[in-house]
Amino acid sequence: MIVIDKLCYQSKLRYVNASEKFVYAVLTLAMCVASRSALTAAVVFFVNVYLTVAKGGIPFARYGKLLLIPAAFLLVSTTALVVNLSRVPLDAFAFPMGGWYLTGSTSSVLEALRLCYKALAAVTCLYFLSLTTVMTDILGVLRKLHIPGLVIELMMLIYRFIFLLMETASAITTSQNSRLANRDYRTKLRSFGGMGSALLVRSIKRSGALYDAMEARCYDGELKVLPEERPAKKREILFIAGYETVLLGMAVWSWVR
Amino acid sequence: MKMEKIKEENHWAVETEQISYTYEGNEKKALDGVSLKLKKGRKIAFMGGNGSGKSTLFLCMNGILKPQEGKVRINGSPMEYTRKSLLEVRRKVGIVFQEPDDQLFSASVFQEISFGILNLGVDEESARKEVERVIEKLGITPFRDRPAHALSGGQKKLVSIADILVMHPEVLILDEPAASLDPKHRKLVRSIIGQLSESGLTILMATHDVDYAYAWADEIVLLHEGKVLRHGTPRQVCGDEEAMEQANLEAPAVMRLYRQLLRRGVIGPGEEQPKTIEDLERRISG
Repeated sequence: MIVIDKLCYQSKLRYVNASEKFVYAVLTLAMCVASRSALTAAVVFFVNVYLTVAKGGIPFARYGKLLLIPAAFLLVSTTALVVNLSRVPLDAFAFPMGGWYLTGSTSSVLEALRLCYKALAAVTCLYFLSLTTVMTDILGVLRKLHIPGLVIELMMLIYRFIFLLMETASAITTSQNSRLANRDYRTKLRSFGGMGSALLVRSIKRSGALYDAMEARCYDGELKVLPEERPAKKREILFIAGYETVLLGMAVWSWVR
Repeated sequence: MKMEKIKEENHWAVETEQISYTYEGNEKKALDGVSLKLKKGRKIAFMGGNGSGKSTLFLCMNGILKPQEGKVRINGSPMEYTRKSLLEVRRKVGIVFQEPDDQLFSASVFQEISFGILNLGVDEESARKEVERVIEKLGITPFRDRPAHALSGGQKKLVSIADILVMHPEVLILDEPAASLDPKHRKLVRSIIGQLSESGLTILMATHDVDYAYAWADEIVLLHEGKVLRHGTPRQVCGDEEAMEQANLEAPAVMRLYRQLLRRGVIGPGEEQPKTIEDLERRISG
């Protein structure tokens, strides 16, 4: 999470209008999920990788590592889809195990493959958004979409304070470790508990201080902030519109074919 | 004509009258009958150990805490604890808190600074201009696009000062602004404070740095266990050995050195006591 946050602040596409990027990611995701063809998924995948890595300047190795995370999940879950335990062997493969077979059908193998490329392509859409758009910009877009203010305010505070929480937790852990708190399993458990309770106490204290500080600035129940907007560019909008139309065409074609 | 007379008469930015405050669950009073009259446009340093009541006093001055006894007057008018008049008080009296991480709630510097001024009901366009102006003025531009969690302590401090300045307060309260800053940022923050006081702002600052307070302030308020131990010019307060000792403070280095030099006859009694080491150096060499 922190890696993604750091990378997106460095992205060269950071200052592109956030609504554009948001619409692009969501529409592409929808097309990718709706379409049945492998070609759509491939196009979406490669265009996203190109945009995020080549245009955005995210190091390719980093991006690859990030993709491995959902890939691992996919592998595990699709294996469960493909492999059956049955008394009758199915058509794709069958390994006899006593009176039973570890087996799978061709259709389920194909289905699993389709799921894999669709899901990976979908993930690249989300990675595009999270690796080019900083959280505060995404919140600005959500505000425009009339997501309830309370939800956005909560997201804003959580995003700000999760870093402080982690900083505090790591400072406490360091100071515990410097006093041999990780000597054995028992002390490890105990110091983890101690860290948790210290963190809770500090968080409560901090929230009180934050509230005072906001009140001191005339807070009256609503966290009003100015959105920081970058102008949308015609060329980019045209590109997105054209690209999505092509994807839509491919999706429709994959259904009527 | 009459109105003007009233205006002229009121030259107190903040007055407190016998205010006392006890935190819930504590027996000891955090503030115990504090009476102060603070003149407009002055630079006033608040000194005293931890727990002497500086922060509590500041929170009372901006209506965050309501003293159980006594009265607070801002600009001559007594503080009422209704929502509307509190908003007015908080616009006039701004507090820069000691710990920036307790004050900055947004990860975006720009959004953070815009919070206060939007709360005043200013329209978006003028608010945007004002935020830009403050960002420029305090030199925040180089790191304005960085998230709050990637800023250094000094940068966060600048943003927390901008937070308040954008609201155009009449009284600026700074709670230990230089605490835990590196020398570079301490110098920067202090030069900003210097500029601000020239613009006629009343500045109240809590500090532990006797030498700085002695050189900077027009008045020093010495607090001890919730009471005002001494309130006067830096020379009066720092020269009061008894009070200084009670507050666990030492006289400013330049004052001690000057006295010694005077006693030994290295320099003659001049027209004015030096306020800084640089002043003293000039006196010796000149």
